[in-house]
Amino acid sequence: MFMLTPVSGSALAVEIIAHKGIPPNALSLATARSIFGMRQVKWPDGTLIRVFVLPDPHPTHGALCKERLNLFPYQLRQSWDRSVYSGMAQAPSEVSSEEELMNRVAATPGAIGYVRKARAHDPVKILRID
Amino acid sequence: MIRSRFSALIRWAPSLFFWTMVFAPSVHGVELGEGLQAHGFISQGMSLTSDNNFGGNSDSGPAWDLREAGANLSWRPTPDWLISGQALARWAGETDNGDLRLDYGFVDRTLLADGETQVGVRLGKLKNPLGFYNTTRDVAHTRPGIIMPQSIYMDRGRNFWLVASGLSLYGNREHANNAVSWQISAFEPEVDDSDLNYLMLGRDFGGEFHGRSSWLGQIMYEREGGLWRAGLSLGDLAIKYRPGVVDPFNAGHTDLSTWVLSLEHNSENWSVTAEYGQTEVRSREYGIPIVERDNTTEAWYVQATRRFPGDWQVFLRYDVFYFDKSDHSGEDFASIAGANPWIRYAKDWTLGVRKDIDRWTLSAEWHQIDGTAWLSPADTPYNQQSQEWDMLLLQAAWRF
Repeated sequence: MFMLTPVSGSALAVEIIAHKGIPPNALSLATARSIFGMRQVKWPDGTLIRVFVLPDPHPTHGALCKERLNLFPYQLRQSWDRSVYSGMAQAPSEVSSEEELMNRVAATPGAIGYVRKARAHDPVKILRID
Repeated sequence: MIRSRFSALIRWAPSLFFWTMVFAPSVHGVELGEGLQAHGFISQGMSLTSDNNFGGNSDSGPAWDLREAGANLSWRPTPDWLISGQALARWAGETDNGDLRLDYGFVDRTLLADGETQVGVRLGKLKNPLGFYNTTRDVAHTRPGIIMPQSIYMDRGRNFWLVASGLSLYGNREHANNAVSWQISAFEPEVDDSDLNYLMLGRDFGGEFHGRSSWLGQIMYEREGGLWRAGLSLGDLAIKYRPGVVDPFNAGHTDLSTWVLSLEHNSENWSVTAEYGQTEVRSREYGIPIVERDNTTEAWYVQATRRFPGDWQVFLRYDVFYFDKSDHSGEDFASIAGANPWIRYAKDWTLGVRKDIDRWTLSAEWHQIDGTAWLSPADTPYNQQSQEWDMLLLQAAWRF
């Protein structure tokens, strides 16, 4: 049942962050799934989307999948593998820690990623999911 | 001299590359530069059978002749262009000898991308979309077991169904709870494979098949991020035969109309997958009546996979194939052709276990099989095929 019930704002354990230069402040669930599924590759202004992720077993990755994208980490992995090993799409960039992920997103134009808790003074944009 | 050095380089470069990667830091894939990525995979299997040979001489002891190695590059120079290619070597008993080949290689141009809708076109050598798994069937960790469900994804017909040079239009559209993706391809099938001679004509007299204009399309629907997935693949494939020097067959041609229905349910711990397909085979002008008998194959499987903590999985699968849906027992064919009826069907119960450790996948599975329809006569000649047989498969696979 957990899957089907959107979790309310304050209880969320993961936040989607992006490079400060990207245009949108919010994403629809469909667009977020499309971006993290590596099917959508450019922002509305034409900038290449660079997706940064944590390793599959990382709890924050699990939280992104279940709470934000409404799917399970194994499904995202299967979807990436189907694309990557048939040449249809590229894989996201995997980093080992949230700190590294924050640094890479802040420094890479067009980047998107996620951390457990972003703070107001972090050098990234926090994206809402509508 | 230069040529032999070059071929030695070609031979050793992939293994050097792989072993470098095995000891490289634990990440998926390698970013070689701006927009340039490399990925790869390698697997080694072992087969042991009670009767019949599969993946080497498995009837007389463990056979180690199931192996795959592949590496791919993809380059996105701008957001709208993607160039992808993969090299593959595959070993499978007498049916594949490890020749290095281009697995796919194409250019992809995005025509439309507005956030929730994408449309694009691909040109080059492309994997054929057929069922859930055809496009990555040689990549061990993407398969639903050590071997594919042979009913829908028969290894004997692998080369024919796998890949073809042509043009493909694709698209997808996502809503909050529904997503639809589709693609349609026009191509000529790749058919330089003696296994196909056995499959189409029952014998190999050294003739060759050639591809004719064909098409294949697929539509996939996903509900709630993949809680439910459903798909329909269908197409018409056409080939013509050029007889060998001494060959009883004339220059005939064969048309294959195929469709596959796919359905999957995914929850946190369970996945249940079922696929059902038929292929109508019409052969003409070969001059041999038994080959020109129209037949429609029937294929289906159901698989339930349970995931356990610690990256363990256990699955149970029942997989059924009939060469002729109106002759399930194979008796009609046997009485005409004077062959054993069980070469015309196969019913396979499989129990499998899989453990993932970082980039490694270790698997074992037990098959209990009635019938030999998906055995290659190159491994086990028809008249030596036993009806009821068991098979143990083990596999270690690694990817980056």
